[in-house]
Amino acid sequence: MAPILVVLLLWEWAVRAGLTGSHILPAPTAIVARGMALLSGADHHVLLVHTWRSLLRASAAFVLAVMVGVPLGFWLGRDERAYSWVRPWLALLLPLPAVAWTPIFLVTLGQGDVTIVAVCFLGAVFPVLISTIQGVRAIAPQNIWVVRSLGAGPLGVFLRVLIPASLPTLMAGFKLGFAHSWRTLVAAEMLAASSYGLGFMIFAAREYMDVRTMFVGIVLLAALGFAFEHLLFGSLEAVTVHRWYRRGQRR
Amino acid sequence: MAIDATRNSELNVRIVSRRSTGKMKRYLRPVIAVAVPLAIWQLAANMGWVNSFLFPAPWAIAKALWVQAGPHGNPPYAVLYSLLHSLWRICAGVGLALVFGTLIGLAIGLTGWGRAIFRPIISIILPVPTLAWTPVLLLVFGIDDRTTITVVFIAASLQIIYNVVAGIDTLNLRVFWVARSMGASRMQIFIKAIVPGIFPYLLTGLRLGVGFAWRALIAAEMLAASSFGLGLMISNAVEYLNMDIIFGGIILIALMGCFFEYVIFGWIEMKTVKRWGVQVER
Repeated sequence: MAPILVVLLLWEWAVRAGLTGSHILPAPTAIVARGMALLSGADHHVLLVHTWRSLLRASAAFVLAVMVGVPLGFWLGRDERAYSWVRPWLALLLPLPAVAWTPIFLVTLGQGDVTIVAVCFLGAVFPVLISTIQGVRAIAPQNIWVVRSLGAGPLGVFLRVLIPASLPTLMAGFKLGFAHSWRTLVAAEMLAASSYGLGFMIFAAREYMDVRTMFVGIVLLAALGFAFEHLLFGSLEAVTVHRWYRRGQRR
Repeated sequence: MAIDATRNSELNVRIVSRRSTGKMKRYLRPVIAVAVPLAIWQLAANMGWVNSFLFPAPWAIAKALWVQAGPHGNPPYAVLYSLLHSLWRICAGVGLALVFGTLIGLAIGLTGWGRAIFRPIISIILPVPTLAWTPVLLLVFGIDDRTTITVVFIAASLQIIYNVVAGIDTLNLRVFWVARSMGASRMQIFIKAIVPGIFPYLLTGLRLGVGFAWRALIAAEMLAASSFGLGLMISNAVEYLNMDIIFGGIILIALMGCFFEYVIFGWIEMKTVKRWGVQVER
């Protein structure tokens, strides 16, 4: 933490000393001041609205990705034959940036929330899907045989073997999926947002050369992304994975 | 990210029983898996089951790409120029990232001052979505190749730095002790102990970096490319509602991504596995 503070202080000093143009790189205090101004009532709390809309879009895309990716992943992870048919498509689509879909959605769905959520969904669904497949495929069939021979039905196998055993990779997939959703969101909002959203705010501020607003957006994007990845999903990981595995060890 | 999980050894039980079909499974099945849906799409377009304006048939897409890649394109050779511009930008950005990323990574991993200077800067930059820099870079450079190349550079170098530092952190300290006790100079230790040790990590970083950079480049081109570029091509096509060019561009982008991921890095991996024992993590 201390080194980061030093960097911030140096940055502030460099801008005040006139070493960098403040029209390109504003001082940290100027960014904070601008952020406070955007939060205040004078600007109709516009920053809150931008952030809220971005969060809504990213979460909607992420939830959809989980709803599609996890069941599909469990199926493909269990069904060897289906997986061998779908694999070429996954290999083709995986290196394709989700943002590349934006033009299609722009033409078919127009500008706005639906397009943005669709693009972010495509960004998030592949990490979730592939982590799920990997997690399920990594389960040794012996585990399933044991539980089955002890009299468990398909539901029992699912609840007692598949879910607990694939949970660590599943959680890693969720984390990655949200990170992808969040990162794709910025680009999608710049391209397709008609109002509100942090990406939209940054891109709109460019037209007025409003660097401080742009940096407020960048800082918020970074901070929120960091918070979600490390605090939310980190603690989720800790709670679920560690508890289940520790309990398993004790038995 | 591996699609083919390496842990399918447990599943050998099932595979052994169908070994005779192994070859068909490996080579023919992917072709069929891709070709059949395309054929259905073509048929559906021909029969008028889908709106062939919004979802042009594969054959129409191929034809549009072919025309745009030839002298009768608008502008002539548009697809080729776009492809070359995108390739030039990613090569320039990744090349810069390889040089500076490796140097910064080495500085962080090996020297106290490097750690003190670069660590905090990197940890500030790391959580920022790369594309959020685009508007700032547009102000700095304007609509110019430098903007897109810088986006590529940021995306790729962060991965490279991260992996090089991870490689140095996992180096076996005993290798240093052995080298030093045998009287190796600092240079010799660097070349004989550190370079081979971090090489696999550098390769992993490069692979991830190219993947991230390609994604970032396409989006950056859509926002900020000056003349040509695959990203610009598909985003311009929206204005003219050229759905065939949009789809064709997306297919090209996907194919190029596959080319980097599977062909180039597959080849590097094949070459280096023997010599260095490198197994690049996918």
